[in-house]
Amino acid sequence: MSELLLVSIMIGAIQSGTPLLYATLSETIGERVGIINLGLEGIMLIGAVVGFVITVLTGNAALGVVAAALAGALFNMIFAFLVITRRANQLACGLALMFCGVGLSALIGAPFIGRQIEGLNAIKIPVFSDLPFFGRAFFQHDILVYLAIPTAVVIWWFLFKTRWGLSLRAVGENPTAAFAAGKNPYLLQYQVLFISGLLGGIAGAHLSLALAHNWAEWMTAGRGFFAVALVIFAKWHPLRAIAGALLFGGAISLQLQMQARGVPVSSFILDMLPYVLSLTVLVIWGRTSRSAVPGSLGRVFQGTE
Amino acid sequence: MKRRKRSIPKQLVILISLIFIMGMSFSAVAQGQEKLKVGIIHIGSINDAGYNQAHSDGVQAMKRNLPNVEVLQAENVPEGADAERVMENMIKQGAKLIIPASFGYLDPALRVAKKYPGVKFVHPGGYRLAPNLSTYWASTPEAFYLMGIAAGKTTKTNKAGYVVALPISFFLANINAFHLGARSVNPKFETRVVFMGTFLDAPKEAIAASALLDMGVDVLGVIVDSPITVVQAAEKRGAYSVGYHYLGAQKFAPKGWISGVAFTWGELYTRFARQVMDGTWKSEGLFGNLTSDYLTIAPFGPAVPPGAIKLVNDTKQEFIAGKKNVFQGPLKDNKGVERVKAGEAFPLTGIGKMDWLVEGIIGQSK
Amino acid sequence: MDKTKGLMEILRHKRVAAVIRFGGLFGLALAVFAMVLLVFGQNPFRAYADIFRATLGSSHGFSEVLVKMIPLVLTALAVAIPSRIWLINVGGEGQLFIGALFATWGAVNFTHLPAWLMLPWICFLGFLGGGLWASISGFMRAKGWASETISTLLMNYVAILLVSFFVFGPWKDPESANYPQSAPFPDAAILPSLLDSRIHLGALIAIAGLLLFYFVMTRTRWGLEMRAMGINQEAARRNGVSTNRYILLLMFIGGGMAGLAGMGEVSAIHGQLRPSLSPGLGYMGFLISWITMGSPLGIVAAAFLISIITAGGDILQMTHRIPAAAIHILMALVLFVVLARSTGKKGGK
Repeated sequence: MSELLLVSIMIGAIQSGTPLLYATLSETIGERVGIINLGLEGIMLIGAVVGFVITVLTGNAALGVVAAALAGALFNMIFAFLVITRRANQLACGLALMFCGVGLSALIGAPFIGRQIEGLNAIKIPVFSDLPFFGRAFFQHDILVYLAIPTAVVIWWFLFKTRWGLSLRAVGENPTAAFAAGKNPYLLQYQVLFISGLLGGIAGAHLSLALAHNWAEWMTAGRGFFAVALVIFAKWHPLRAIAGALLFGGAISLQLQMQARGVPVSSFILDMLPYVLSLTVLVIWGRTSRSAVPGSLGRVFQGTE
Repeated sequence: MKRRKRSIPKQLVILISLIFIMGMSFSAVAQGQEKLKVGIIHIGSINDAGYNQAHSDGVQAMKRNLPNVEVLQAENVPEGADAERVMENMIKQGAKLIIPASFGYLDPALRVAKKYPGVKFVHPGGYRLAPNLSTYWASTPEAFYLMGIAAGKTTKTNKAGYVVALPISFFLANINAFHLGARSVNPKFETRVVFMGTFLDAPKEAIAASALLDMGVDVLGVIVDSPITVVQAAEKRGAYSVGYHYLGAQKFAPKGWISGVAFTWGELYTRFARQVMDGTWKSEGLFGNLTSDYLTIAPFGPAVPPGAIKLVNDTKQEFIAGKKNVFQGPLKDNKGVERVKAGEAFPLTGIGKMDWLVEGIIGQSK
Repeated sequence: MDKTKGLMEILRHKRVAAVIRFGGLFGLALAVFAMVLLVFGQNPFRAYADIFRATLGSSHGFSEVLVKMIPLVLTALAVAIPSRIWLINVGGEGQLFIGALFATWGAVNFTHLPAWLMLPWICFLGFLGGGLWASISGFMRAKGWASETISTLLMNYVAILLVSFFVFGPWKDPESANYPQSAPFPDAAILPSLLDSRIHLGALIAIAGLLLFYFVMTRTRWGLEMRAMGINQEAARRNGVSTNRYILLLMFIGGGMAGLAGMGEVSAIHGQLRPSLSPGLGYMGFLISWITMGSPLGIVAAAFLISIITAGGDILQMTHRIPAAAIHILMALVLFVVLARSTGKKGGK
């Protein structure tokens, strides 16, 4: 029984953690280059709806994911233009982008509500999926789940092990110095926001194609905002983002399991669990220095300068 | 630098003046014919295959029945200040009948109704009336009891799970009735309830559904705005499903569909509109039952054994004849407190006050 | 800062051009949305005229725009006040809910109070509730435990759930039966409104808040200290300004403003506490505050604009059959234009 409980919690954690991980990675690289994007919610919605629509039209979920990623990236270019080229306030632009995403996705998705799709289904990894505990928990998921952690590792590698990552972080720390050192901050920021949009679109696609198999208005239900918090939680580190997404996903999953098992606590109090838990962990474990904040992220807020 | 900062508000002021000028130059179009205008406001999207679509299809049916009726529709209207504004806007557009189609619109509707005594309001599921505000709903526990019978006869694992938005009394009563119906034919039956905390979060519903299925549940019921996600999740895993609100949900689970309780508001709305047009409308509290044309039991799916369908129909006749009560005592809640004494029955008109889950249901009612 | 006179003149000249260009851009936003309307088979001119008639073209419509503005101005202040020292308060929504929660407690449990006592009492409680809730984040920030951005954001969710917990559980009005809501406010606890419109006392509170904010920021030593702190925390600390005290104080006052917004909504608009208290007013306030960089006049203008667009959205879907969400596109387009225009800059930094 308790093994079943653990497996169930783990499955739920992975399922709800995956879109959060993609979203957190999307936000992480953006903030690493000095740009905070509160419009992630909108990007995810665009990804979710485009992924769904393309899957309905072509019957091919893989194509849906690719389209979702591209749509997310293109949509994020609106934001990029405003904050990079026009140097507009990032917080305000982010929220405006979110509203745009909410409206646009609702408009695009309206004719497709209730359409049925095959979507992304669990792929059992041979041999491993037959393992007693781990098999069910870790090796019977959809493709985007399997790709999530490798994506985080790849991003970590790019950020910390390549010249490109070095320049990117240099721009995030101090654009003026990076400019003086012969780097083109604008180009880098555009590149990064494009990739960030790809990841945000994939996060949305996972919601509509793998979890819900369905499109509903505003189906992200605040996950994009939460990812912004997770970035801070993960101290702008892609690998720590894995832990953060799993922890939060785990809290949601645990909460549902506790309800379904009749734990005598109000469901509203149980629902607080993910948020309170994240905050507590943050306070206990995050009390150390704040040095991880990308240097120019603070400047962003004085962005009109 | 500072100059630039200050310029933003100035730009906004200019922008607003622009709007004024533009609007001034366009506004002057008048309207108003003899048609009856009916305004309906929805809490969610009208194509959710659930609660809102049931209402929306209802007014569309009314429009087909009565060509002389025009419909003003607004979806995704938040309760509170926005709802009042939208209703008043509809009245300014000439609406004479308003359907605020969500429980939470009751107080805004009462306030607007007081201000416009000439406009009629019909509100679903409320508990208060005004001289120009009626309430209508149907007693659903009997229908859910029948769903329970069908589910109890169909299940293989004797376990059902309910994915529910919030612990609202009507919902609790429905789940209780479902469970009692299932227990009446299957004493080993157990029901688990998971509350989502919201009417719309499809990914969370999917995860909850899959968690319930992992526990061995093979019947999933759903009470959220849109049943699509949960019904589909059940179908994918080879489980059965029970729907609510909207007839069309069946197509999402051709194999695993048991049945569903649906609202078909078309005829009722047609009657309301006709009454308003010929002046016979009066304020009343309608509380329909299995015989009403607006409470429908959806067709049964292929998985339901024929014997179960017969039993459901027989029980339905007993309910209609008044020979059977859903909440027949003795009943205890799932904390062991006696709620209905032996020989008594919990009245269906009182389900608005039901805030407990019956013995055998795993879940918290608050 | 030290610009030459010649440059000033060019700038001044450019401003005229800028206004024209800005008008053009705004027209562009309307034109883009007009295309969306055309795709839906609607006449954009009719649509814009209808929006105008329903919002500014009638006294009732205009009053509704003002009603909508009240909480927006207050939640914008909730963000603008802490933003003076670069605190990012994303928690307006949660602070609004807790303010409403406190005010409800006061109104429902002290029903015998006369209006002249009751109104200040619930205002006080609303302010206190929002303020305390924000102070938790302020405290964590001051202690260096967690950034206020993340804690205020997370606590939004907790606050809404807390309100749900109370209205579904201990505070549920037995009369209301089916649906969760608190007992109705006594008449004395309902903010009086202007004539027969729905403009309520909250409007005065919002105006007072704006004026006070403006006065403190520009005319007092505090304002100066805060500005110094905003520019350079390190230097301010060296000059003996206690940053932590300001963090706590500004978060408290900011939260209090959002709490007042919550109090106003629950008292004047809803008349009882419900989980559906706010359709994201706190986030709107955040947007308004950052779009205008916390300028008081800007807050009023932006709140006005957003209220018009939201109210106009009703009309679009009622008479033009446009999905409700489409109005968000118009709002975003206008915001994009305002944002893109606001900081047209030369060169990098």
